[in-house]
Amino acid sequence: MAEIFRLSLRQILGRWRVLVILLLAALPSLLILLIKLLSEAQFTFADDDIINPIIDGMIVGGILPIVTMALATAAFGNELEDKTLYYLVLKPVSRVSIVLAKLLATLVVAVPLVMASGVVASALVGAETRPLGTLALALAAGVAAYAAIFTFAGLLTPRALAYGLVYVLVWEGLLSTIVSGVGYLSVRGYTLALLHGMDEESFAAFTGRVIEFPAAIVGTGVVIVAFFLLALYRLRTMDVP
Amino acid sequence: MNSPNVPVIAVESISKWYGSVVAVNDVSLEIGPGITGLLGPNGAGKTTLLKMVEGLAAPSDGAVTIFGETPRNNPALHRRVGVMSEHEAVYGFQTGKQFVEWSAKLHGVTASAEATACAIERVGLADAQNRPLGTYSRGMRQRMRLAATIVHEPEAIILDEPLNGTDPRQRIEFHDLMRHLADEGRTILISSHILEEVETLADRILLMVSGKLAASGDYRAIRAKLDEQPYTVRIVSSDPRRLAAALVVLDSIASVSLGAENDVIVLSTNVAVLQRSLSRIAQGHNLRLERVEPLDDSLESVFSYIVEG
Repeated sequence: MAEIFRLSLRQILGRWRVLVILLLAALPSLLILLIKLLSEAQFTFADDDIINPIIDGMIVGGILPIVTMALATAAFGNELEDKTLYYLVLKPVSRVSIVLAKLLATLVVAVPLVMASGVVASALVGAETRPLGTLALALAAGVAAYAAIFTFAGLLTPRALAYGLVYVLVWEGLLSTIVSGVGYLSVRGYTLALLHGMDEESFAAFTGRVIEFPAAIVGTGVVIVAFFLLALYRLRTMDVP
Repeated sequence: MNSPNVPVIAVESISKWYGSVVAVNDVSLEIGPGITGLLGPNGAGKTTLLKMVEGLAAPSDGAVTIFGETPRNNPALHRRVGVMSEHEAVYGFQTGKQFVEWSAKLHGVTASAEATACAIERVGLADAQNRPLGTYSRGMRQRMRLAATIVHEPEAIILDEPLNGTDPRQRIEFHDLMRHLADEGRTILISSHILEEVETLADRILLMVSGKLAASGDYRAIRAKLDEQPYTVRIVSSDPRRLAAALVVLDSIASVSLGAENDVIVLSTNVAVLQRSLSRIAQGHNLRLERVEPLDDSLESVFSYIVEG
């Protein structure tokens, strides 16, 4: 599995997409620096004006799914596009190891990037250690859930990135915020509930509009396991080009 | 190695269809040690058949076994099998050596460094092994892919169009290597759409046309059958009239006509005799042959002779 993990890591890091992703991840911090530079107003982390647009809207609703999607859809997507997947599946290596190696490679790159994006931006507006730790943990859980979804999507269709973007914008971005109940079926909903559940005081702005903490924990776990198994099933049953 | 009485690769009434398109239609065959050539024009279903044999595609009907085991979702079996697909893609960022060693490690080869060096030596690419694969020529890439295919010393080797992009010298070296591997008792299945590629290499030929197995057996018998079929050949020479006059008296020529472009159109009943006679006539009449080409749409029509014959 280590050989496939290393190869996958190299595939992910060797592409132009990493540069775009780095810029994307840096966007919240750059924006906050710009606002600080141009405005006289004093912001604090707990302000609704910071929590809602920056943490929820930009980081949890945008950077988290988009960065993870760009990396996870490429995990198998590159292999299918280049027609190199047969090198992996015709080796005496279990399908579980292949999917796990791909998923881990995505996580190793995406988790630090998304974490850094959220933590640095929050630190710039004075977030303390506890909310920063909470943010890091919740974002890591969100990355794992999205990574499982988009790894499966990358095996399902060569247009996973396009379909994924529609899913992120429409389901996670729009419906999860305006339709009650969608939060139970939304990774964004889980991530916000995890933030609120782990540190109600710092993330009080989410009170009343997030699902229950236990439901978020179960939901995140179910998504990770279910989509991992779906990816495994797909790899076992598909005709490899 | 496998028991001599048990076929290494066994295909039983296998079919594959995509919607209403039938890619492989009720093919049965058995392959044992030695070199078997899978021959057929482009689109005949060779690659689809090989994908099912390799376990990359599920048959719509029928069954495949290698060493008595189904190859589909059977990772352990791939310790004994080496596959080189028709797709020439490689991980361009890896060097040739890294690529072969990566394959060795994934195949569970314990002395992977030694096995890698040996496999690369066998394909004659030791000098280029530390260069990224992205900088290789097509022929070099094919040879390094072959090294990765054989690095774990597989008992069965399946190669889909392995000679694409190779030059004549590389083809000779490839033939020598395949013959050597076959002499070690391995089972080698090679697909090609070019008759001459496998003519001197394969012990046995399987001919596929339109998804079906059209013929199988010794190459010479099939070749003889092919040679008996009429061919239309276009010959461009320095003096078409003198060439036509010399050709028309041959027994193997059914008709000769002059074309519009300073060429001679010949209908030959035995293309092998025509091939031998042409060079003799050119020498005897001091003619220069500029081009000799079949007008029968190459393999497609040749294979149809076999099917209809």
